[in-house]
Amino acid sequence: MSDVLIASRGQPAPKRWHPVTEERRPTRVLLIALSLSLLALLVVAPLGVIFAEALARGTVQAIASLSRPEARSAIWLTLLVAAITVPLNAIFGLAAAWTITKFDFRGKAFLITLIDLPFSVSPVVAGLALVLLFGINTAIGGWLVGMGYPVIFALPGIISASMFVTFPFVARELIPVMIEQGRAEEEAALTLGASGWRVLLTVTLPNVKWALLYGVLLCNARAMGEFGAVAVVSGKIRGQTATMPIMIEMLYNEYMSIAAFSMAAVLALLALVTLVLKTALEWRHSDALATGRKH
Amino acid sequence: MLIEIDEIAKTFGATAALRPVSLQIPSGALVALLGPSGSGKTTLLRILGGLEYPTSGRVKFDGLDATGLTVQERRAGFVFQSYALFRHMTVFENIAYGLRARPRRERPSNAEITRRVTKLLDLIQLPDIGGRFPSQLSGGQRQRVALARAIAIEPRMLLLDEPFGALDARVRKELRQGLREIHDTTGLTTIFVTHDQEEAMELADLVVVMSMGQIEQIGRPQDIRSKPATRFVREFIEV
Amino acid sequence: MMNGFVAKSPMPGFRLGMGITVTMLSIVVLLPIGALLLHGVNFGLSNTWQVVNTERVWNALFLSFRLAFFAALFNLITGTLLAWVLARYEFPGRRIVDAIVDLPFALPTAVAGIALTALYAPNGLFGQFAKNWLAPIGNFLFSPFGVEFSGRIAYTQWGILIALIFVGLPFVVRTVQPVIGEIEREVEEASATLGATRFYTIRRVILPMLMPAALTGFALSLARAVGEYGSVIFIAGNIPNKTEIAPLLIVIRLEEFNYDAAGAIGIAMLLISFSMLLVINLIQIWSRRRIGHV
Repeated sequence: MSDVLIASRGQPAPKRWHPVTEERRPTRVLLIALSLSLLALLVVAPLGVIFAEALARGTVQAIASLSRPEARSAIWLTLLVAAITVPLNAIFGLAAAWTITKFDFRGKAFLITLIDLPFSVSPVVAGLALVLLFGINTAIGGWLVGMGYPVIFALPGIISASMFVTFPFVARELIPVMIEQGRAEEEAALTLGASGWRVLLTVTLPNVKWALLYGVLLCNARAMGEFGAVAVVSGKIRGQTATMPIMIEMLYNEYMSIAAFSMAAVLALLALVTLVLKTALEWRHSDALATGRKH
Repeated sequence: MLIEIDEIAKTFGATAALRPVSLQIPSGALVALLGPSGSGKTTLLRILGGLEYPTSGRVKFDGLDATGLTVQERRAGFVFQSYALFRHMTVFENIAYGLRARPRRERPSNAEITRRVTKLLDLIQLPDIGGRFPSQLSGGQRQRVALARAIAIEPRMLLLDEPFGALDARVRKELRQGLREIHDTTGLTTIFVTHDQEEAMELADLVVVMSMGQIEQIGRPQDIRSKPATRFVREFIEV
Repeated sequence: MMNGFVAKSPMPGFRLGMGITVTMLSIVVLLPIGALLLHGVNFGLSNTWQVVNTERVWNALFLSFRLAFFAALFNLITGTLLAWVLARYEFPGRRIVDAIVDLPFALPTAVAGIALTALYAPNGLFGQFAKNWLAPIGNFLFSPFGVEFSGRIAYTQWGILIALIFVGLPFVVRTVQPVIGEIEREVEEASATLGATRFYTIRRVILPMLMPAALTGFALSLARAVGEYGSVIFIAGNIPNKTEIAPLLIVIRLEEFNYDAAGAIGIAMLLISFSMLLVINLIQIWSRRRIGHV
């Protein structure tokens, strides 16, 4: 008798029955199709246009436009800005996360709010604030220029602007992870006689390395791509203070389409690499990251 | 309502959660599905509620085939182990939920809904908590609200998955009596899942002992105690 | 327990950590913001008000805020949909699609700006479609109501809206997606056993549970869009009183070396940002009180 039943195993569920926590198949297909077309139109199409426009007259033209001196200088400047901004922000992120997660002190919530502040300030307003602090007409700015260290329309200004807009990135990734990991491991290391630096290097850093890398990745992408804040403070001097995004604007306004989009394509490739690395990190080390957790 | 389970089997991938089981539950009975975890008792309960679809076999309600009925059509009052209360709604709205979810022409008026919810809050002996949110209730109160919410839809049967599982021993005893009283007041065919043999024996009219996806024994508590049918049953009720 | 400023702790490095944190925070963020506010104080409240209270500035602020609001609203709806599809449905390429959602975060705004312009300009792929198809159809349907659509997207407010939608797209998805993952299946099942249709369950149970996260994403998207510059200026056309956004007006005043006016508009924008930050925090406090957590 049970043989008969085994033979009938897998009787198809009637059409009207379906799992209650799922939408019916037509609804699912419709929603997936809607989402995919939305993303295709809104996000993928602009990305495609960048490469199509860059390669409109062939690869040779595109690469030639990137090897002109002013383009090379812009690429070099952008790399330099990122190379200074990102490590500084990483140091800040670690210090802030250590202070906030390992100690209890008054005004902690306020401190976190201040760290998050750059997220809600327009980049242009950030640039404006820097001009009003370091501009040649101000006390500090005038003094610095007199000493021979101009900030605005020079490299320090560009770095300050990049620092401002990327300021919360590393701390924001580290804090939730370090809260979750607690203080027990560090306390254990201390009882075993380790010094503070040793605890940081041998216990804390290995625990947060993926979150740190994740934050650094986001920080780097933003630092290389920042436009609004840098546009205000850089002065847009070709070959000197024009970063890649600034160069894109100038080329575009001069109707140098191939050159503008070729440089844009380089930055778009950087964005794609960032996304690939980010996805790989989320995939392999999701348990060590703050994403997907509630802040 | 008379419930007939006719050679129901359920496999998840390669593992068999239920080998074909058959069982008749007389109308108005209070039945315990008793067994260790992994015995298939929760799967059987979920099949009765329409939350899972059996791999083979049929379910009949009052002699009519109910296998293909959707969850909504079954009108089974289901109490989940976690209670699954809607945490963004007050207790009142939780209990009123099933009535408000009805299609417009079957939906009671607001006044009628208020009357019924008030009556149910009295039935579970918590008349004053209608305005609170689930997060403000104790475990025992949550369980009773979940029960009231299930009864509010005028169900044809009550299905409870480990209804006392998340409670401490003292509250558990108290609420057992509460479930008995509610069963006797409503006269609903009631099936609850438990792994606690003492709970099953004390509360149920009929105990179904399950193990490894099969029914080991069906009987009144005193019969199972005096004449365990298999070695498994003897050992399980001894603990 | 906390007698002084900091609770006693065996952990070392408080002074150093706090020192680095506060020093860098002050130099990088607080000093510039302070300089902006100080500039406003020196310039005077009534002077600031005089600069802001002109037609062109009002138009720019209102345009930025209004279009940012509509873009955030669009992102609230589509972002919730995207989050649901990504969290709940299995389909080929889901992981790639999930990664693509973050592209607007990773793509530099100037790059996005020229790409969107190339796409939506009258001779661009979507621009041509709008001119040749959307405009005739739209005008056929709506001209009896006195609504005219030129078919131009770039260099109009439509273009700005599209750019703002682009930059704000990931916020709602990323705030809502983890919350969807935390909804217990039993809650949805409970709703069904109580007789609710799937649609009713989504409307009365799931969406209210997602609401706090979705509103947080909405506010973040709004805050970002109000201050957005790079992706907008290329596609906006930048016609005073029509398609001139507030950040651009600051840049224009700075290029005229009119620091007082630029500072005044900057302070107005800063106040808008601060009030939105406040709203975000209030939403979170409200929802925490209501359902136990955010």
